[in-house]
Amino acid sequence: MKKAPSGTSKKGSVPALAGGAAAVSRDIEFSRLSKWVDELNICIRCGYCAEHCPLYRLSGWEIDTPRGRLLLSYGLITGEIEPTPYVAEKLFECFYCQNCSKSCSAKVSPTEILTDARADLLEAGFDVQGTTVRNDGRLCRACGRCIDLCKAEALSLDAQNMKVLVDSVKCKACGVCVAECPVGAMSQREGFGVSRQELSAAVTNALRSMNGQPKVLVFCCNWSMTPGLQLSRMEPPGTQDDSGIVVTVCVGRIDPGLILNAFCEGAWGVMIACCPLDECEQDGNYRAKERCVSVACLLGLLGVESRRLKLEHFGTGEAQKLKNTMKTFAAEMESLGPV
Amino acid sequence: MDIDVTRLKGIVGERNVRDNAADLYVYGSDASVHQSSASVVVRPETVEEVQGVLRYANAALVPVTARGAGSGACGHSVPIEGGIVMDFRRMNRITDIRPRDVLCKVEPGVVCDDLNKALQPYGLWFPSAPESGRIATIGGTIANSGSGVRAVKYGTIRDYVLGMKVVLANGDLATLGADTPAQSSGYQLDRLMVGSEGTLAIIVEATLFLRHLPRFRAMGVAKFNTLEDAGETISDITASEVTPSLLELIDDVAITALNKTLNMNLPQVEAIVVYECDGRLKEVVDSEMEVIKDVCEQHHAFGIEMSSDAKEMERIYSGRKKLFAALSRYREGFACTSLADDMAVPSSRIAECARKIHEIGDKNHVVMTAYGHCGEGVLHTKILMDATRKEQWEDARRAVDQVYDYVRSVGGTTSGEHGIGISKAPSWKMEKADSLQMMRAIKTALDPNSILNPGKMMNAPDDWVAATRLRYPVKP
Repeated sequence: MKKAPSGTSKKGSVPALAGGAAAVSRDIEFSRLSKWVDELNICIRCGYCAEHCPLYRLSGWEIDTPRGRLLLSYGLITGEIEPTPYVAEKLFECFYCQNCSKSCSAKVSPTEILTDARADLLEAGFDVQGTTVRNDGRLCRACGRCIDLCKAEALSLDAQNMKVLVDSVKCKACGVCVAECPVGAMSQREGFGVSRQELSAAVTNALRSMNGQPKVLVFCCNWSMTPGLQLSRMEPPGTQDDSGIVVTVCVGRIDPGLILNAFCEGAWGVMIACCPLDECEQDGNYRAKERCVSVACLLGLLGVESRRLKLEHFGTGEAQKLKNTMKTFAAEMESLGPV
Repeated sequence: MDIDVTRLKGIVGERNVRDNAADLYVYGSDASVHQSSASVVVRPETVEEVQGVLRYANAALVPVTARGAGSGACGHSVPIEGGIVMDFRRMNRITDIRPRDVLCKVEPGVVCDDLNKALQPYGLWFPSAPESGRIATIGGTIANSGSGVRAVKYGTIRDYVLGMKVVLANGDLATLGADTPAQSSGYQLDRLMVGSEGTLAIIVEATLFLRHLPRFRAMGVAKFNTLEDAGETISDITASEVTPSLLELIDDVAITALNKTLNMNLPQVEAIVVYECDGRLKEVVDSEMEVIKDVCEQHHAFGIEMSSDAKEMERIYSGRKKLFAALSRYREGFACTSLADDMAVPSSRIAECARKIHEIGDKNHVVMTAYGHCGEGVLHTKILMDATRKEQWEDARRAVDQVYDYVRSVGGTTSGEHGIGISKAPSWKMEKADSLQMMRAIKTALDPNSILNPGKMMNAPDDWVAATRLRYPVKP
């Protein structure tokens, strides 16, 4: 009755690939990834990393847990699974929030292992996007603003073709460049809750699902701890006390349009909960602060009280502080009434 | 194995079925040493969907392995014969909290710590969450008869299950137990399901009895120069008139691992005992803490620290909470394998058992640690070894056999809280030799086609090392 998974192969052999198959090396050595085999043995596969992973919370599939990605890495090294475009795509899906690495008591770092897997896969010719950003050369004006803002140094200027190049091994998918690009040339794939359309839909859904008053929307970055149940659901819906929270990868991903959209959809107030100023690897909190200032000015011009937009800093584990601040802000909005 | 994937998609929806090699590979693993790929993974969301999948599987003779968080330590959710893995991630609703009845109703995929978070506003508590409660599900915990650190005072999950709904192998739905703590209504089939590891039926709802959150807690930590002193302390505390809410042993191997991995700066002594008391009145809690402190001092404890400050208690206990994973870094080139990991012995044998475990490790060229919820008799041992060397697996096999020979000889049991699965089955079969026939008869009556988690417990292979692919790259 035993059955091996269909398509298992010897190490590195790539029998048939869809799409850009011709460019893929047929014999992948995984020279960088193989260095991690001892580390992969140290991982006890307890799975504790799952609760912290935004991708797992989104999909609920085991393959999207940090443990799942480590298993894929292990399978690639041992040849127990094929390096297919699907596997490559999964290994390019990570927001580098490092919650998994920080919470691992065995001190295994999934993100470091993943970065080496990506380098090997890119070298072998896989052209996959995962969560990384893409630049649309037809829209890009090569202004270079995104290059200056990218703390991961993943962006560079192709002077000859006058467009921005993305190094998808270095890209940490924070989305700061997507929010900053004035012409919409930078983008992230749909399906991870971070595209402009998905974030707008999340804002609309959060506001529409609010039963009580006042309607307060909170953008909370994945680096700061999000409150409430992690992996379970309360019934009836809405009894969970974290309604109104829209989780983004990094608050640097929130563009002014998204904030204004929240007010258009009926929010009485919008709060942005971000990491303490010197603790954001992407400087996303600075970007959010800049945008808050400009949106507040805009609100003023529209005759809307600027205190309806608030930015606050929260360290990891300050869920209670977040809860209290939300409560105070909600009370303030209640005194102001709807916009 | 021919599986009608299209039909399964029709039952649970196309988006909730996966059969590509990468997903199957990932679902073939848990926290055990075993690995074996499934043929297809389904994620039902309703009882009707579970029934539909089981009706199909029973007719087509396809194995079905239920899976919660995949945090099991002995291969319970590893699909040893392939077939369908049923992931309960989507059946994760807390459907009812009834403070006046002091109970709640949950679906099997609800995460234990999430349940406690949801109960907190009601002043209620489910004390039987295991240490892995931040991901472990209620369904998995019931199926394993799990418990956790507070079992010494509050008992194990079997004491909290009032009833449940299960889907039988043929797809029929059965309601077991009732919403009352007292039940004297025939066979207690709900209890039969506790610890059945998904081999008898699939749990789709559980009714759990709850407790009121204690108003006061205090925690203490005591150091010992000998493992015997620490073990005797635990035995004497357990036998005293005071019942702590937590009583844990941490041995020198574990202390080294914690210092090395997490820079905890613990004193390098032979053993540390952590204890906690809780209750409604501070005076009572304080007086119980003093009684335990006296017992510790009688056994030459030193450096005793006590605190009732939540943050300080968290600091004291943080090492114990992170121990399982931290053991992986005890020695360069060694892995922490989950073997012989949770035997239970009578309380008076803790010191002897802990020492025996160390001796057996030394004799068989592996490192064994002894820590755990000793207040309820549970000792967690992990085998630390070079898991890439074939001969080390023979060493491990001997060590496991010798540990369990000892455990049986003193009236202990193979598993205190992690269950049997694959890796503990050979020793367990020896322990339960004269009741295996009864268990097989029950299994045949409820699952005549043996589709539910086959190849586990009494039907597991006799050679656990060769039962599946090992998760480590073992050199030939």
